[in-house]
Amino acid sequence: MKFTYNWLKDFVDIKIAPEALAEKLTMAGLEVSGVEGKGGDFVFEAEITSNRPDWLSVIGIAREVAAITGVKLKSAKSSKCRCAKAVGKFAIKVEDKSDCPLYSAKIIREVKVGPSPKWLKERLELIGCRSINNVVDITNYCLFTWGEPLHAFDLDKLSGAEIIVRRAKNSEKLVTIDQVERKLDADILIIADPVKPVAVAGVMGGKDTEVTEHTKNILLEAAVFNGSVVRRGRQKLGLSTDSSYRFERGVDFETAEFSACQASGLIEELSSGKCVLAKSSGKALPKTKSISLDLGLVEKILNVKIAEQKLKNILGHLGFRVRSVGKNKMMVTVPLFREDVELPEDLIEEISRIYGFENIPQTLPSIKPQVSIRGSRDLVALTKKVLTGLGLSEAITYSLVDQDLSKGFGLQDAQPVAIMNPLSKEQEVLRTTLIPSLARCVSYNLNQKQEFVFLYEIANVFSRGENFPEEELTLGIVICGEKSFFLEQGLAKENASLLEIKGVLERLFLKLGIKEYDFNPSGSGVIEVTVGGQKAGSLINLEKSALARVDIKNKDLFCAEVSLEKVFAAADLNKKFVSPPRYPGITRDISLVLKEDLAIKSVLSRLYEKGTPLLIEVRIADYYKGKQISAGLRSLTISCIYRSDERTLTEAEVNPVHSEVVRMLTESFGAKIR
Amino acid sequence: MDIYSIKAQLDADIQAIASLQALEDFRLKYLGRKGIVAELTGLIPTLPKEERGKFGQEANALKGRINELIAEKQRALSGGQDTKVSGASGNDIFMPGIAQELGHIHPLTQVIDEICAIFTQLGFSIVEGPEIETEFNNFTGLNIPLDHPSRDAFDTFYLKDYSKLLLRSHTSPVQIRAMKSRKPPLAIVVPGRVYRPDAVDASHSFMFHQIEGFIVDTDIKFSDLKGVLETFAKAVFGNDIKMRFRPHFFPFTEPSAEVDISCIICKGKGCSVCGRKGWLEVLGSGMIHPNVFRHVGIDPKKYTGFAFGMGVERIAMLKYGINDIRLFFENDLRFLRQF
Repeated sequence: MKFTYNWLKDFVDIKIAPEALAEKLTMAGLEVSGVEGKGGDFVFEAEITSNRPDWLSVIGIAREVAAITGVKLKSAKSSKCRCAKAVGKFAIKVEDKSDCPLYSAKIIREVKVGPSPKWLKERLELIGCRSINNVVDITNYCLFTWGEPLHAFDLDKLSGAEIIVRRAKNSEKLVTIDQVERKLDADILIIADPVKPVAVAGVMGGKDTEVTEHTKNILLEAAVFNGSVVRRGRQKLGLSTDSSYRFERGVDFETAEFSACQASGLIEELSSGKCVLAKSSGKALPKTKSISLDLGLVEKILNVKIAEQKLKNILGHLGFRVRSVGKNKMMVTVPLFREDVELPEDLIEEISRIYGFENIPQTLPSIKPQVSIRGSRDLVALTKKVLTGLGLSEAITYSLVDQDLSKGFGLQDAQPVAIMNPLSKEQEVLRTTLIPSLARCVSYNLNQKQEFVFLYEIANVFSRGENFPEEELTLGIVICGEKSFFLEQGLAKENASLLEIKGVLERLFLKLGIKEYDFNPSGSGVIEVTVGGQKAGSLINLEKSALARVDIKNKDLFCAEVSLEKVFAAADLNKKFVSPPRYPGITRDISLVLKEDLAIKSVLSRLYEKGTPLLIEVRIADYYKGKQISAGLRSLTISCIYRSDERTLTEAEVNPVHSEVVRMLTESFGAKIR
Repeated sequence: MDIYSIKAQLDADIQAIASLQALEDFRLKYLGRKGIVAELTGLIPTLPKEERGKFGQEANALKGRINELIAEKQRALSGGQDTKVSGASGNDIFMPGIAQELGHIHPLTQVIDEICAIFTQLGFSIVEGPEIETEFNNFTGLNIPLDHPSRDAFDTFYLKDYSKLLLRSHTSPVQIRAMKSRKPPLAIVVPGRVYRPDAVDASHSFMFHQIEGFIVDTDIKFSDLKGVLETFAKAVFGNDIKMRFRPHFFPFTEPSAEVDISCIICKGKGCSVCGRKGWLEVLGSGMIHPNVFRHVGIDPKKYTGFAFGMGVERIAMLKYGINDIRLFFENDLRFLRQF
């Protein structure tokens, strides 16, 4: 909203400089975003919040200035209309009064349409409104001054002596003043004559009936249209105007009638027309609201005692009528232009912002802490700590993705939840997996010449539920490239692998106190992760075709995705102390060659079984696969640790057990001892 | 050539050295492969057996002395800096240290954690809510009428096939959830992802993060809101900042205030970051609207409360001087490693 310093001065005496005024308005909630000296005046630009349609007019802002500076508003010119309330030749038909609570029309004859006088032209141009001709300029001038959008039709272009306010029919069309042909429908409220639509109500007039230099007689419209209806109409047409902006936020009856009279008076004065007929149709003038304000409540909410007279002055300057009712109570009558004020709290806001937020003290409340409220947040934080310690960095990617990308990864079996109103392809669906987004981050980083990318994200994934989609907190991990690290001998390099991701999950499970978990192959390139006997996710060696979708070439990308809800359900952070071993153990290494396709896991579990109770730990100390041994075999060194909690074991006790263990390896697994 | 004359020459030579290059020449002269010490030790086999031991010890002592002189001179030449190459264990301490690389926590997570920590110190509890919400929780319950311009500030993604479900456009619906499921007194902060259909550019993103907070009790005042938010802002941006509370409009609070801090870049003088205003808008806040209490079944005559909300990306951008919101979601390792 733009307005000028001198324009305000028409309504209120201002004794402070424009910049100081701007600052005061801002601190009262009317945010001035700029002041510019121009043509001997100062142009203000303000951001008006949607609850204050009255501020979309110079008079509304003048009222605010009056309240801030503690002066009275100058009284406006007489609002008496010179038009006779004639009956007869002209009819107004409003089909639904809830669409249009008020429609008033004035017929002004014998106007001389021509250029506006200099003062009018200048004022409009200062606030960026192009001067058209005296009649149109007057309607705009009144719009900006009083806040009521007016429209002037060329009376002689209207067919028949009737104005009809109705919803459009689905096949109807109208060329609006901006020369665009608009397709109308039943959601759109229009002004029509008996033959055709002539304006989109509250939005824009029609081209055919606009006022031009040839116009002789005009019909001046001042109405109150339903804000929601105007809103829907302008959304459908994609056409927002100064007029629709105000109607959406609300225009009141009094302002509408008053500014119509101001406008017709000006038109008579500046274009020597003659108002010959005024007619209006609509509901009765709405009743004014009264709110009972308890002064104790003001103090209770603001924590400051404001004198009663001060309260009365503040509200009075803002246009409220206030009278004391007994002790500590006031009855406040709300003017029609303040439809936003409904509750005592609304009045307290008015009081506080004029009194000044800066004059309200600062205190700290006493809060009763509720330490019992704890969600999965602590576990998420622990997970992030573990992963960070293991060298992974946290990524945050968009939850909305393009549908084709997820499909191309072959990770999505069900239809994702789709967005009804995406702005672009990247916002089509809610993702069902974190992997494609993370793979895209890998691709981005490889393009930035990063050799090793190790990332994770913790976020919700979404799936279709019956009545409500489901959200599941999920951990995604990706690893790609070649890790280099220093050893004492020099730089060592290592290719990313699935085992590294497995290692990360194992460490995480350990920290979370999860004992029962497993990794098992399931289909090509996919390892199923189970936690507490339940499927919780998978490790995946992504296929080339998937990688091609994110432009990763000649590189392997390994990833994991696990449901943190399932993982956390199995977590157990309770710790129970176990005494460190008091007696030394005996370690025996076995070097052996095994068939490659034997699952080490089952070999190890059989070892435990065989060596129990003395065998307390089995570790893979080394392994080798390659040229030195035949294909299909691998060489392993297994460390077996024997220990007792009751005594120091002797060789004589361990040896027979160990021989049994070794014999089992050769007999059950065909191991060759080296 | 006897060791004593070499020692004498040594002292003269070392005193004359004025550059690292000269020092290196000195080192080569005495300790090089064909240097004086090598020459001396080369003599050992030619000596009578009984002298070899003693001679060897002296040659070693000489070598040690030369090394000391070199190290000393090196320190002197490099302004007292210790450039000794060998540590106690014989490792070259100037080579890169050996350690597992650390990962990095995303800056947005760090900012969220920092802010939540401040509020938990003040006695707030952290609660989270779903990202998919009902129209009621996102709008109606918060006193935002469905067909009203106040909704324009909350453009929203709606879901296909699910009527009246949407991606939350702010974290405020968690207020509704928490107030419905718990009884006052309440002091809660809510971090989380929110969504608005915005075209992506340097300052807009269709997904971003917010932190919401609110208190409900029998005697919460506007002055409490001012006190809590000032404590918070000073904890995040430092004790030197100035603050102002500016009246504003939010449908779910009454009175409503926007909170500005003096620009942390220009200290209030006016710069491009604060749009020459000297102030930065960091929070929206206000006393919880009685209609919100009515929607969740809390008696507005008995209870009052305040609520506030902020954009995490904005706070992070100000705190770290980040100038493009897209950096948060690109996950460039060169970006992440800075945090």
